[in-house]
Amino acid sequence: MEHALVAEGIRREYDGTIAVDGVSLSVDRGEIFGLIGPNGAGKTTLIRALTGTTDAEGSVTLLGDAADAVDDARIGLLPQSFSPPDRLTPRELIDYYGDLYDDRRDTDAVLEDVGLTEAAETWYENLSGGQKRRACVGITLVNDPELLFLDEPTTGIDPAGRRSLWRLLESLADRGRTIFLTSHSMTEVQRLADRVGLIQAGSIVAVGEPTDLIAKHGGSSRLVIGTAEAVIEAAKTAIEAAGFDAAGGLEAVVVENVSPVEISAIVEAIEAAGIEYGSLTWTEPTLEDVYLELTGEAFEGVGTPGAGAIDRDGDAVDVSAEEGSA
Amino acid sequence: MSRARRIRAEVTAGWHSFLRRRTAVFFTFFFPVILVVIFGALVRTQPTDGGLFAEPGAYYIPGYLATVVLFTPLSRIGSEIARHRDGNRFEKLATTPLTRGEWLLAQTIVNIAIIGIACVLILGLVLAITDATIAPSIGLLWLGPLVVLGVVLFCGFGAILGRVSETQDGVIAASNTIALPLLFLSDTFIPLSLLPEWFVPAIELSPLTYFSRGVRAVTYPPAGDTLVPAIAILAGLAAVFFLAGAYAIPRTE
Repeated sequence: MEHALVAEGIRREYDGTIAVDGVSLSVDRGEIFGLIGPNGAGKTTLIRALTGTTDAEGSVTLLGDAADAVDDARIGLLPQSFSPPDRLTPRELIDYYGDLYDDRRDTDAVLEDVGLTEAAETWYENLSGGQKRRACVGITLVNDPELLFLDEPTTGIDPAGRRSLWRLLESLADRGRTIFLTSHSMTEVQRLADRVGLIQAGSIVAVGEPTDLIAKHGGSSRLVIGTAEAVIEAAKTAIEAAGFDAAGGLEAVVVENVSPVEISAIVEAIEAAGIEYGSLTWTEPTLEDVYLELTGEAFEGVGTPGAGAIDRDGDAVDVSAEEGSA
Repeated sequence: MSRARRIRAEVTAGWHSFLRRRTAVFFTFFFPVILVVIFGALVRTQPTDGGLFAEPGAYYIPGYLATVVLFTPLSRIGSEIARHRDGNRFEKLATTPLTRGEWLLAQTIVNIAIIGIACVLILGLVLAITDATIAPSIGLLWLGPLVVLGVVLFCGFGAILGRVSETQDGVIAASNTIALPLLFLSDTFIPLSLLPEWFVPAIELSPLTYFSRGVRAVTYPPAGDTLVPAIAILAGLAAVFFLAGAYAIPRTE
């Protein structure tokens, strides 16, 4: 497949501190590529290097042309923490940025795309956080770019607004647009990205499809049964008798390699043994586990899909930091 | 056509942004009004005694106009650049076809419109509440080009200030620090005869001097015919400062 983006040996140093250290990567046309890492990992500097908004060593090819020769109209950039003139309305902002290009999309179509038709005449400063980010994404879409760079596009947006933006990005990808996305939300990248790059201290530590990375580096799914320390050994025995490997922990029994459909068998085993438990937490490996495995550092971003907990009455009691699902 | 469209888009956005900041609009016009009222109507000097404000009222017209031609572009362009940097707007614009020169030209056009209106109001106020008189003549039409060149020059200067100052507070402090001495030491309010001889050559270094002399040449006949050299130097300085300002506008973080 033809590449939309090819970067080789990107390096950027600020006052002796290396922000991006020899990054090489490629993104295929029509692909959503998610770059994930904690704050300060080098995500924004890398986007700036790729879009030519900072000086960096190395070479970048965008849509087949050198980065400094590619037609601006084919590229769209949403910078991190971008804030347009705040006393213009979304309609005026779309018109303003749209008129910077020879060929531009219809204002109403862009407003509809980002769900701001009803708020089209409200000053930017009076929009909600989610509406503001959607307006910014709309500004990025005015020239109907083939390649979009979105630097943390959903930061500060409420969950509903975030999902709405995700759907928009997915529809853009469906229409053949290439999206290079940075985020510190594992949930976001895991949902959106065809491929993921994990960045740590300016270096890419892994690139691949989320499912492949998780399968290779994420470990196994696990069920954690919260119970009194006095009955842990009895619980282990009951679970092992049901055919599962169990290990004791602090006021908990941990069962590895458990699929969702096997949870009921384990619960029945401990209940049949008359053992009371306080909670059940089932987790499947995520990109966060991959990051921990590959870097040795706990990820301090947000969002870990795949974690859920149920109390003995069957009610959900604990989910991931953001919006994971059981 | 594309260039005109880009500049028009930037002008429209800048104009709306300015008009919707009512405090900015108010003080843009109120500041020179205060100066006119204080120096033109309240301060009294016996003309025979010499000293400050002893010249005929029309002598000070360049000074009053200079308050907006100097202060407004310096602070507005500088602050606009600081706002653009804070909001990463230059990073966004760097990936659009808009060039640095086009951006500064558009901002300059907005300033010309604002300052042009302010100059007309100031001129009317000066004639209404001071003893200044201006004899109608075709030469007064030169006021337009003089104001335009002055605004272009100080928009370029403001862009340079915006580049070197990292914050809006820094821009305001820097522009005041530079503009205040320029306002009084550019052959505007203080006649050269009141300054020490050794300092007089320094007046020639101020770009505002040539704006002042040009305006005085068409509004105060006793000043003599200094219009052509003044406007020529002003035009040259405007071109240099505009180009330097356009170059100074950040395109990368």
